This record gives sequence, structure tokens and C-alpha cells, in this order.
Amino acid sequence: MKILVVEDEHKTGDYLKQGLSEAGFVVDLARDGQEGLQLALSEHYDLAILDVMLPGCTGWEILERLRAKGETLPVLFLTARDQVEDRVRGLELGADDYLVKPFSFAELLARVRTILRRGRPSQDNSALQYADLELDLLRRRVSRAGKRIDLTAKEFGLLELLMRRQGEVLPRTLIASQVWDMNFDSDTNVIDVAVRRLRSKVDEGFAVRLIQTVRGMGYVLEEAQED
Amino acid sequence: MRRPTTLTFRLTVMFTLVSAAVLLGLGVLVAMATNKHFAELDRSYLEDKLQLLERIVGESVGSDDLARRLHAVQNSHQGLFLRLERDGAPIFKSAVVDFPAELGSDLEQSQVSEWQTGPLSLRGMGREMEVRNPLLGPAFEGRRLRIDVAVDTGIHAHFMTELRLQLLLYLVLAMIVSAHLGWWVVRSGLAPLRIMKNRAKDVSAHKLDQRMPIEAVPVELADLAHSLNAMLDRLQADFQRLMEFSSDLAHELRTPISNLLTQTQVSLAHPRQVEMYREILASNAEEFQRLARMISDMLYLAKTENDIELPHPEKVDLGQEVRALFDFYDALADEKQLRLNLSGAASVWGDKLMVRRAIGNLLSNAIRHAQPGTDVTVAVDERDGEKRVCVSNLGPTIDAAHIPRLFDRFYRVDKSRMHSEAEGTGLGLAITRAIMLAHRGAVSVTSGHGKTEFCLVFPREAAAQG
Repeated sequence: MKILVVEDEHKTGDYLKQGLSEAGFVVDLARDGQEGLQLALSEHYDLAILDVMLPGCTGWEILERLRAKGETLPVLFLTARDQVEDRVRGLELGADDYLVKPFSFAELLARVRTILRRGRPSQDNSALQYADLELDLLRRRVSRAGKRIDLTAKEFGLLELLMRRQGEVLPRTLIASQVWDMNFDSDTNVIDVAVRRLRSKVDEGFAVRLIQTVRGMGYVLEEAQED
Repeated sequence: MRRPTTLTFRLTVMFTLVSAAVLLGLGVLVAMATNKHFAELDRSYLEDKLQLLERIVGESVGSDDLARRLHAVQNSHQGLFLRLERDGAPIFKSAVVDFPAELGSDLEQSQVSEWQTGPLSLRGMGREMEVRNPLLGPAFEGRRLRIDVAVDTGIHAHFMTELRLQLLLYLVLAMIVSAHLGWWVVRSGLAPLRIMKNRAKDVSAHKLDQRMPIEAVPVELADLAHSLNAMLDRLQADFQRLMEFSSDLAHELRTPISNLLTQTQVSLAHPRQVEMYREILASNAEEFQRLARMISDMLYLAKTENDIELPHPEKVDLGQEVRALFDFYDALADEKQLRLNLSGAASVWGDKLMVRRAIGNLLSNAIRHAQPGTDVTVAVDERDGEKRVCVSNLGPTIDAAHIPRLFDRFYRVDKSRMHSEAEGTGLGLAITRAIMLAHRGAVSVTSGHGKTEFCLVFPREAAAQG
């Protein structure tokens, strides 16, 4: 997966490149609008991450010119301006998503993966599996090592999300938005409590813990690594 | 660049021009009336003289007597000129004067003609008669006699010239006087404006409490003063808010940033275990997330307070929103053994995300402060067209002293809990209030006897739009 990052802020650009590279993406970094546009037109990318305010030409202009040339490359905008018209404008031009600065890297990574997953046939509609954990989506049943686990509807939804995106660190905001459709930052630790309860049902009594807390970032479904 | 003229100057000029026009009209009228009066005087004088001459012709004994009497008339009337013709031949004529041939040809109308002879301006009329006086002898008796008289109008003309000159002089004088009077009147008339101007001059960022004097200005200006005062009120409130906002912001950011800085610098001062670094970075990340959330909350607050229109107005089922939020906070409530109850149903016209966030903030507050094992109740109802969502919990009563400031940004009842893990950014209730104001509604709070209740009130018109 190849990603183009156009970001003029030096540190931000470097960290985005490093972070995305370490997450397994091939990343090209352009420091201004012109360079970014040229790269986007000459190379093949799976996703472009554009800052809105750029020297040379703005992120909007890059997107406009890309779309004018029939380029369907998915675009995620980074904007410091929390303005409704900005969002509307970005989405009207055919942006796929946007993030308002300051954003957390975990959030960006999760959004990037969401966009890249689009258009691909979803893995399986009837069952999900990770290690010895099984999710029967049709009958809405969960079992681990053949042992039935009773979950509430929302716990089931939370586990389904973690399993569908196994190995990815999911930030709390993404979990709130995907599972409960709560698109605002709750000023409570409600996600932590929900995950803790789910964990007590899924991991308690088993040698290997599957739901991991990544401090400062979020949660991930992963077999605990031996320290 | 052309400088715009002052209002005083313009009004003075207009005032002067108007009085000049009125005076000029009056002067012209006076001159015309006088002239007409003189013409009338001359006509009756001339008619009078014609009658006198007719009588003389009728009464004279012999042509010598006639000539003598005509001379006497001529001599006794200064400025009067005579001419008598018998069958087209002159028999008597005053010197100096030429009479036009066609003079007084219309007897009936006894028309007055005007003409010039040398330096003289003349007015004259004439009449024809048949002589019925046998004493005058056959040379006259039964013959047609023509009598013309004329009078010098030089005296009148002189008077008129004098009159016009005086009127003009008066006009100029009156204009000068009225210009001064006008300036004075305008100045005193505009005095309230000057008062307002001076007040306005005193207004600055540090002295926004100055107001226009409403009692001191006339009714027409009171409206303007009212509007200006309202504008100043808004400016002052906004400015105050802005100042508080920046100082709050600095204050709120100072502590976490100085913590982060200290922690990072202390960590850097000596080499440490990798685990230790990871721990520090994770702790920093959490702190940064809180800061990032505070910033996005503040941006949201600013946007909500500044936007006039709701972003996506639609019909929002309050009960449905509350149930969704119950689902979300279920784990949290369960941990404190709280029961979440909903009663009633209603729909409002609003922005779904905003309404959800407003209720969510109240609900999370209620759960946070509820006594474990009690009920948290959300009551939705409609009263007189007003839709209300009331969230109540049992727990510590909020001191009455805190109530008025509860919705201020960054206001915390318990200062010591400022940065505890579960505590929010201190913006939740401010955001809730801003959301309700954006819906033209309100948020209220009552607290007493261990029960605290927050109510969102959606006004009737917002409901009527749905």
C-alpha cells in the first residue's frame, strides 16, 4: 500500500512518514502543494493525505486538479480549520475523510485503514475468527476454545469491531463512533469501562489475553506477546 | 480626495438658500405690485385729465379762450403733455413731446400706451369727441376733435429703481443674517449629536462601559442611541468573553504543559531503562490527548457560539436519542450500580449531533456524580409547546453559590479534582449551554435535598418548525 503525504509542517510530515512507514505503508512525503500534485499525477498511490493549508497550492486545489484529470485516488484531508464549510467543501470535491488538527496518530491510522479497506469485499459475512476466539455473525454467538461466551448486543458489536480490525490499534473515539454511533469525544472513561467488561468475559480464565490496551493510543485485538 | 462637507455646513447653506428664495419672491411681488399700482394711478390721472379737457372744450367761449385755458392746464400740471387735433390737423401741442400716431385708437377701452421720447418715458391715452359747443364757432362746432394726454413716468421709474435697490440690499443683508442664524440654529439643534460623538470618543477596549445618553437626546436620536447602546452591550459582552477565554485558556494549558515539560526534562536528565521511557511517553500521550480534546472542545464551543444557523436541522426524536445514550453509558452506569430510566417522549427540530451531545454531557455528569446504587432519570415532556429534557440524579447537592457560574467554561465546583482521570475538560456544561442557545433554547439547573436536576428547554418556535 502506497501513501502520499503532503504536509508542509516539517515535524508533522516527518512523524507521519515514520509512523505510516512503521505501520507497514510505503510513504512518499511532499513538502508543498506543487510537488505533491506532481507526485500524485506521476506515481500510483492508494491514498493521499493532504494538509489543507499548503504553500504553492492548497490541498483543495490539489484535489480539484486530481479530480479534473479523472484521478479517483482516495483523499484524506488534515485541516486546522474546524469549519463546517471547509468540511462540506472537502467532501463535495470528493474527499473521502477529514481530520481536524490536533488529531491523534492512532486516529489517523485507523481512518487510513478504513479508507483503504473500502471497495474491497468484506472478509466474511458469517463468521470471524482470531486465535481460539470465534464470532458467529449470523447467530450472534461468541465462543472461545469452544466455550460459549454471553455478550450484550453492544459488547458483541465492540468485539466484532476489534476482530474485524485485528492487529490494528483502535482509538477510543473510533470505537465510540463505530459501535455506539457517538461522534463526539465523551469526557468520560466509558470506552475503558466497556472494554474492561468485555475483557473480563473474553479473557478471564484463559491463559492468553487477546484484548490489549496500548497506553496512550487505544485498544487492539492481539495475542499477548511474551515480555 | 474631496472631504465630505459637515452636516452643520450643509444645513446652514440650505437654510440660507431657502430664506433667500422666500425673500426674493417677496421682493419681486412687492416690486410688481408697486409697479401695477403706479400704472393704475397714471391711468386714473390720465382719464381725469381727459375729462377736464373735454369739459374745457365744451365750456370755452371762442378759440382764444380755449387756447388760453389749454395753456393754463399745461402750465399748472408739471409733467403733463397735451395734443389736440381737429380732423387730423394739430391745433394744440405741448412742446418736446411726440405722440405716436396710433395712440388711443380704441376709445372704449381707454387703453394706456407707453413709449419713449428722447429722455422721457411716457404713458398716454387719447379720445375722440364731437364738439358740441356753438360758442367755439363754426370752425369747431360739429367737427371731430381728438385729444391726447401723456404723463412723464420718470418719477415712478426713479422710485422703482430705488425700491429695487433697497429690496436687493435687504435681501443680501437678510441672507447674511439668516446664514448666521441658521448656523447657530443648526449647531444648537445638533448639540445632542455632539454629545453622542464625545461619548463615542470615550469608548475604547478598556472603557467599553460608556453608553449613549438616551434621556439627553431628542426622540429621533433616542432610537439611534438605543441601537448604539445595544451594540456596545454586545461588544462589551463579547470582549469580556474573549478576554476571559484567553486567560482561562492560558491558565488551563499552563498546568498540563508545565507538567509535561518537567516530566520530559527530568526523564532526559539521566539515562533510564527502556520500560521507563515507554511509560513516560505513554503518560505524555495521555496528557496530550487530554489537551487535544480540550482544544477541539474549545473550537467546538467557539463554533457553536458563533454560528447563527444550525448545521443540519432535522426532526430529532428525543426519546430515541436518550436510549442511544443509555446504550453508550450503560457500562459506566452498571459499574456504579446505577439504573438509567427514561420517561415520556417528544420530538424537536434541531441538529441531531448537537442535541445528542447536549443530552450526553448532562447524562455523563449525572452518572459521574450519582450516588452508587441509585436511579438516574431522564424525563422528556412537553409543556405549553415547550419541549423539555430533564436529567436528574441523587447525590451531593451543588452549593447555591456555584449555580450561576456552573455553565461557565472551565468552571469546576471542586477545584481539587481538576485533572483527575475521569474528569472532563471543564467545557461540557458550557458546550451544552451553547448548543441550547444555538437552538434558541435554554438550560437550567436545580439542586437541593440530595437531588440535582438539569433541564434542557427547547422553545415553542423550534418545535413549531418541525
